[in-house]
Amino acid sequence: MNSIIAIELGTNAVRIFAFDLMGNIIGFAKGHYPTFHEGPDNSEQDPEQIFITMLYVLKNLLNETLYPQKYVVGCICFSASMHSLLTVDKDGVPLGNVMTWADNRGKEEAVELKESELGRKLYEATGTPIHPMSSMVKIAWLRRNDPERFKRTSKFLPVKSYIIQQLTGACIIDYSLGSAMGLMNIHKLDWDDDALGFAGITAQKLPQLVPVFYSEAKLKKEFQKALRLQPEVKLIVGSSDGCLATLGAGVWEEGKATITIEDSGAFRIIGDKIIKDHNKQIFNYLLTKEHIVSGGPTNSGGVIFEWFTKRFGDFKKAFDIDYSMGNLIRDAAEVAVGSDGLLFLPYLLGERAPIWNANAKGCYFGINIRHERKHFIRATIEGILYEMYSIGKTFENHRTINSLSVNGSFASIPFCTQIIADIFNKPVSTITHGGTIGVGAFLLSATEMGMYKNLREASNTIKMHQIFLPNANDHARYMQYFAVFESLIEKIGVEFDTISKLQNIK
Amino acid sequence: MNQLLLQQEASKELADFPHIKEFAYKKNNTIQLNSFNVGVMDCIGIYYVLEGKHNWVIGASEHTLYPGDIAVILPGENFGGKNNILNIGSLMWVKLNVQNHRQLIGEWSQLSKKERHSLEQILSVNKDLLVLNIKEAQALFFELKYELQNGEVGFCTRIAQLLDHLFIIICRQLIRQNHSRRDFPTTFLRLEQTLRQNLARQWTVEEMAAFAGMGTTAFTEKVKNYSGFSPLNYLINLRITEAIKLLKRNEVNVTDIALAIGFYSSQHFSTTFKKLTGYTPSDFRKNNIQINNLQP
Repeated sequence: MNSIIAIELGTNAVRIFAFDLMGNIIGFAKGHYPTFHEGPDNSEQDPEQIFITMLYVLKNLLNETLYPQKYVVGCICFSASMHSLLTVDKDGVPLGNVMTWADNRGKEEAVELKESELGRKLYEATGTPIHPMSSMVKIAWLRRNDPERFKRTSKFLPVKSYIIQQLTGACIIDYSLGSAMGLMNIHKLDWDDDALGFAGITAQKLPQLVPVFYSEAKLKKEFQKALRLQPEVKLIVGSSDGCLATLGAGVWEEGKATITIEDSGAFRIIGDKIIKDHNKQIFNYLLTKEHIVSGGPTNSGGVIFEWFTKRFGDFKKAFDIDYSMGNLIRDAAEVAVGSDGLLFLPYLLGERAPIWNANAKGCYFGINIRHERKHFIRATIEGILYEMYSIGKTFENHRTINSLSVNGSFASIPFCTQIIADIFNKPVSTITHGGTIGVGAFLLSATEMGMYKNLREASNTIKMHQIFLPNANDHARYMQYFAVFESLIEKIGVEFDTISKLQNIK
Repeated sequence: MNQLLLQQEASKELADFPHIKEFAYKKNNTIQLNSFNVGVMDCIGIYYVLEGKHNWVIGASEHTLYPGDIAVILPGENFGGKNNILNIGSLMWVKLNVQNHRQLIGEWSQLSKKERHSLEQILSVNKDLLVLNIKEAQALFFELKYELQNGEVGFCTRIAQLLDHLFIIICRQLIRQNHSRRDFPTTFLRLEQTLRQNLARQWTVEEMAAFAGMGTTAFTEKVKNYSGFSPLNYLINLRITEAIKLLKRNEVNVTDIALAIGFYSSQHFSTTFKKLTGYTPSDFRKNNIQINNLQP
């Protein structure tokens, strides 16, 4: 046995990393699956497609990369994106598609609950902000809006449970993903009665909760054979993408936080205590029962810059968005800090943290006659990063943060990383390896196998790469603009709702 | 300018062009009942609107065309005026005979076989999107008219060239209008949805590339980069996904599933399915039922 496999069931693709026992990446493969948007609030994926894609990619990686080099797989560890929900009938057959974290159909249910006393109680018990992303809210929505499906449902599962059930027959979920469902009491490590009550189900309708290291579920013989894996190969249930990205970013010590920006983004810290936020905004998800990942998620990440690129970038070669983005960044770098007074609110997709307003919209502010295209480019990037800063700021009330670690395809563009350092006025490090989630899964597996004493020790092995130091002058300039950014958000309130309504009129 | 109606056999101008069934330049000043009845096309028709607002039935849907718009009607499609009326205005059209429904551009064409095939694929894959705005087609139609009427030296070649040109600008516009060259994920999602709806069809990479409006090599590379799979492997992925659903539903027999999702035999299906999942389709079904019976 000399290799470990990490399977990441992500938002739009399955990514599989293979590591040797030193933690070096010895293979990587991915397989895309689409998200279907039948209505403006729907966001769904096909569970069987996710399963087959995972199987197909895993098989190819083993046959094409690992076996030719005589690697033998010791264990397979799973990661998945949070808040997904699949309903299956008494035969375990899916009823409809998976609802992803981005599915907003439970908007009304969430708004009603959020303002109530029960909402506060549930937030404190479960650590999950009251939002349509929460599986609890989704189930309540189903009960109200699709009673037939609700009635036929025998289990409500995160997509990872379904995949593991296909592979092993066991119906389980780890504490991390369990705690992101909005149904688990993070203090008692069991399903929460009030949350179950709100959803309208009993604990029998949910998978069994297990620690992230759990490895009792065994791979079915047929899959062992098809994948040519050893009978003793261990399946570790693993954790969520958010928790593993934090672990894999090596941010463990006091005073550190991590910023991830891919399509969407998050600001996260690890601690041994839950952060009680009276605004009910900060999430608290469990990596293990001793280690809590607290943070705030944003919708406004790289996807917003991608929008800008598609609309306003140059496309010399068909579909070559990377080339086009590179050019935009080069143009943005010609503009002074603060985009000569052009500000951008990045809420094209509504927003979660820190304003939690699904109706929020994008906005350029302060345009004058001298502003050019390149100002809009830079303002767009700065807007996305101001937004991350406004999330980070809410944490400074709870913890002292001295330095940041940055990952994700958007945040780790050097131009963006430097702006993060300047806006936050803190040193920012990046990581030598690419996939923090995969590395997190490796560290978790290696700890389970006894190679590290505990997760803290595992996490400390992550080497920080480049350090970006803040520039005090630039920071001061950014703060002047950020003050306007902040007060704009405060001032625009009912207008977001009105314009949202107008936009939804057909 | 005068109206014109050239028809194969009746008009000597078309004697050298057996593939041109009809060429017309029509001005319509009055609305008359049953002046434009809806019927099934037996050839390929290209209609260009010069004046007026025209409500037409094409295939299963209704379209409104304005000056500068072109409609391509494929053989087998329903076509005619809404309420069987030809609206006031003027238009030009050319109807071309086809050998069969797949070979839309005949042997008269001077295009290379490969490019001709690509154009045909683009037209047939996008058959619901064949109403386009192409102003530059107007000049082509008038040139076509001139060449047909005057028969000057070299006119046979010119007419073939003009028709080829027409097909090329139609396909290019089709791709530009319907596929942003900026957004591969959206194009790929639309392709995926089309594949899912037609899994039984024997898709080729060329057809899929044509759908995305790309050359085969660039398309394959792009798909591989984006999805992790070659186009054909992505298709197999979709087929097995559908197979699993059908097997779990336990209503359709394995051979019918194989054919419904595009395998040419149940043997072929079985081998592919087992390679990937470790189960033969029938074992997968049996196993699935067994598990379910164990559950309370």
